Amino acid sequence: MPAAAAIKVLVVDDQLTMRALIRSALQEIGFRDIADAGDGEEGFKALLQRPAHLVISDFNMPKMDGLGFLRAVRAHDATKKSAFIMLTGRADKELVQRAMQFGVNNYITKPFSPLQLRQKIQEVFGPLT
Amino acid sequence: MSIAPSRVVAQPPLTRERMVHVVQGEYAVVQETNVVLTTILGSCVATCMWDPVAAVGGMNHFLLPGDDTSSDSVRYGVNAMELLVNGLLSKGAVRTRLQAKLFGGAHVINNLSDIGAKNGEFAIKFLGMEGIPCVAQSLGGDRARRIRFWPTTGRAGQLLLDASTPEVQLAERPKPAPKPAASAAGSIELF
Repeated sequence: MPAAAAIKVLVVDDQLTMRALIRSALQEIGFRDIADAGDGEEGFKALLQRPAHLVISDFNMPKMDGLGFLRAVRAHDATKKSAFIMLTGRADKELVQRAMQFGVNNYITKPFSPLQLRQKIQEVFGPLT
Repeated sequence: MSIAPSRVVAQPPLTRERMVHVVQGEYAVVQETNVVLTTILGSCVATCMWDPVAAVGGMNHFLLPGDDTSSDSVRYGVNAMELLVNGLLSKGAVRTRLQAKLFGGAHVINNLSDIGAKNGEFAIKFLGMEGIPCVAQSLGGDRARRIRFWPTTGRAGQLLLDASTPEVQLAERPKPAPKPAASAAGSIELF
């Protein structure tokens, strides 16, 4: 049973407010080691410098969107093992299917509560302590 | 016998304005120059946002659920704002060029807590955090507002209304916060 506090997380979203909300939800769940980035390009660089067990990324972002970011993460030896949860603005079936093809681990539709986020993370990591 | 030609005045092409009404909980993003976005606000807030270079703009209309600023309430508001911003970006707007005008947030019903003020405060705080300039605002007071917004130019106008106007009463009725679409999209079962 993994401890949330031991899981390193990278949050990628172009909206500062959304990053702050996700960070706050993660802290509520028990995560302590949380980094963030404003788009896929920045997120990928951050991930190379500081590997994370879990990436939570928005889809709609400038420069490199969530799918591009996911592909980059899966294509690189240093990052390909990170769990990846995609945030979507709505239940976009096509987007989710494409993300599945590129190796997404789970997805969550905004807006979501800390409880829903916890459930999505547990579906990937198993029950958290 | 000569007949004087009748005076011919060049007429601009007919571009009839098309009104698109944005109701509570919804948003609209348009690029058509003849579209005017309209809404009626009591304690709700509408964010009118546009990129003057890309000539694209939009409006949302939200009422934070509950009368506090709990995280649930803020999440709902952030989502309403994000839908508008993402809608604009997807139509060619550039985040650093976005400008906004805020309307609404009135205290129209005396016996309720001032949810209007909280809606307004949330919107101002959001724009501040995201670095989107709020170039004009008309928030608070005790009158409802009818808003018209020309999204490609950023021009906006408001008309103050009496809170007892039926359409204000209708607009003021709280609507349930949108549920996360994941539960609505039961056809997508991934894990």
